[in-house]
Amino acid sequence: MAGNFWQSSHSQQWILDKQDLLRERQHDLLSLNEDEYQKVFIFFANVIQVLGEQLKLRQQVIATATVYFKRFYARNSLKNIDPLLLAPTCILLASKVEEFGVISNSRLISICQSAIKTKFSYAYTQEFPYRTNHILECEFYLLENLDCCLIVYQPYRPLLQLVQDMGQEDQLLTLSWRIVNDSLRTDVCLLYPPYQIAIACLQIACVILQKDSTKQWFAELNVDLDKVQEIVRAIVNLYEMWKDWKEKDEIQMLLSKIPKPKPPPQR
Amino acid sequence: MQKYDKMEKIGEGTYGTVFKGRNRDTMEIVALKRVRLDEDDEGVPSSALREICLLKELKHKNIVRLIDVLHSDKKLTLVFEHCDQDLKKYFDSLNGEIDMAVCRSFMLQLLRGLAFCHSHNVLHRDLKPQNLLINKNGELKLADFGLARAFGIPVKCYSAEVVTLWYRPPDVLFGAKLYTTSIDMWSAGCILAELADAGRPLFPGSDVLDQLMKIFRVLGTPNEDSWPGVSHLSDYVALPSFPAITSWSQLVPRLNSKGRDLLQKLLVCRPNQRISAEAAMQHPYFTDSTSSGH
Repeated sequence: MAGNFWQSSHSQQWILDKQDLLRERQHDLLSLNEDEYQKVFIFFANVIQVLGEQLKLRQQVIATATVYFKRFYARNSLKNIDPLLLAPTCILLASKVEEFGVISNSRLISICQSAIKTKFSYAYTQEFPYRTNHILECEFYLLENLDCCLIVYQPYRPLLQLVQDMGQEDQLLTLSWRIVNDSLRTDVCLLYPPYQIAIACLQIACVILQKDSTKQWFAELNVDLDKVQEIVRAIVNLYEMWKDWKEKDEIQMLLSKIPKPKPPPQR
Repeated sequence: MQKYDKMEKIGEGTYGTVFKGRNRDTMEIVALKRVRLDEDDEGVPSSALREICLLKELKHKNIVRLIDVLHSDKKLTLVFEHCDQDLKKYFDSLNGEIDMAVCRSFMLQLLRGLAFCHSHNVLHRDLKPQNLLINKNGELKLADFGLARAFGIPVKCYSAEVVTLWYRPPDVLFGAKLYTTSIDMWSAGCILAELADAGRPLFPGSDVLDQLMKIFRVLGTPNEDSWPGVSHLSDYVALPSFPAITSWSQLVPRLNSKGRDLLQKLLVCRPNQRISAEAAMQHPYFTDSTSSGH
């Protein structure tokens, strides 16, 4: 569904206001500070990425799943649903919506089990506790909390057009594409339209690759440059945080601080 | 706490039963579509999800409105605006007579809904009288998007066998795998003829071969000259070469000459020669000031 972004549910319902976002988080920010909160979401974006790669999903599907995940917690406390359950549920829903084809639930669960054991053993000492019925029930809650807005516009398509328009080579596209992936570890996908995110990521890539000659090209773009700078700052902050963030050492402590729902299900 | 009272059953959709319902607070009458959750472990069926996400994006007065999505113990219910009947039932109530102004108004509304879908890169793929809803005010709305699919994302090969046979274009009958908006335009043509004939279907084929024969007896059998590439389609079969009929006024006697001209632009075997919804809306059939209707 590549219709008009401005008429989409994404544009009309899911470009949120920063103040509103912070207000919704108040409850969780009693248990975690803002940095810690972001680190938890970086961790789960990684979980979604790893699950998606193991299921051989396209990046578009992984990105959509990550946005669902962030949208859900933009309206809910972490205690409402265990993020470890919501992450695979987002993948299930995104793969259906993006018409990737249906992932069988049993396969999804066995991938979760093996990923927790092999890739995320530093975060979880116990086995993946959820079963099909939990994921299917969770899918309902997710659908409801997304207000059924399932079509997500991603920065990838505008990015391709921008790079083409710039007449630049593959190296720039590859780098800015990776920066778009990284931007899913910030709140920008909740706050800004995808084409602005694409421009910001491209700008960062140009700075890294020292493409000074592109400055004029950016200056001529018809875009709100203040917004683009806000996005750039959010992503640069992410990279700053990443530099001295030792996820393997700290994540267990952070996960233990997350406000908890009812006790986890019996196996 | 139930928001809607369930009333009588209205019909069966692609993936569940449809009931009439009433909002307890506002008394608004709605259609409740119960989604069956099958035993297999897919969760919410893709066809239902497709309908939900498309209707969430497509808001237009000629497209049925999705009001709400409810879930309760393992059941999912889609709440739609209620329309009094579908075009099939409307035909049944006509006793073989239709006001040509109504025919024209319905056709224009069908095209408006389609043009909107197509401008959002959505194909309906399953247009038929049962999927066109009519309300008391004479408004027509496209419904049942369970088979619809966005085509902006490059998915090259669409699954075969999606359109009800009678409204299926010859390219799809010949196994064409790459669908475009033209699939809906053919169906729209069949529906125009059916409207003009008060509900008698134009090409009521009984199987694929019979369907093709019925079409070609009217439009003439296509060949490589009239439709380059036709013989390379995967399910192509050589059929007797019928000539095209010369008089469309016998086929749809009640339709005026402008209406017949539009019909001939819709019912074109070669898909890329079919008129678009946008262009069809501008056709003189709808602007002719000598006829009544709006």
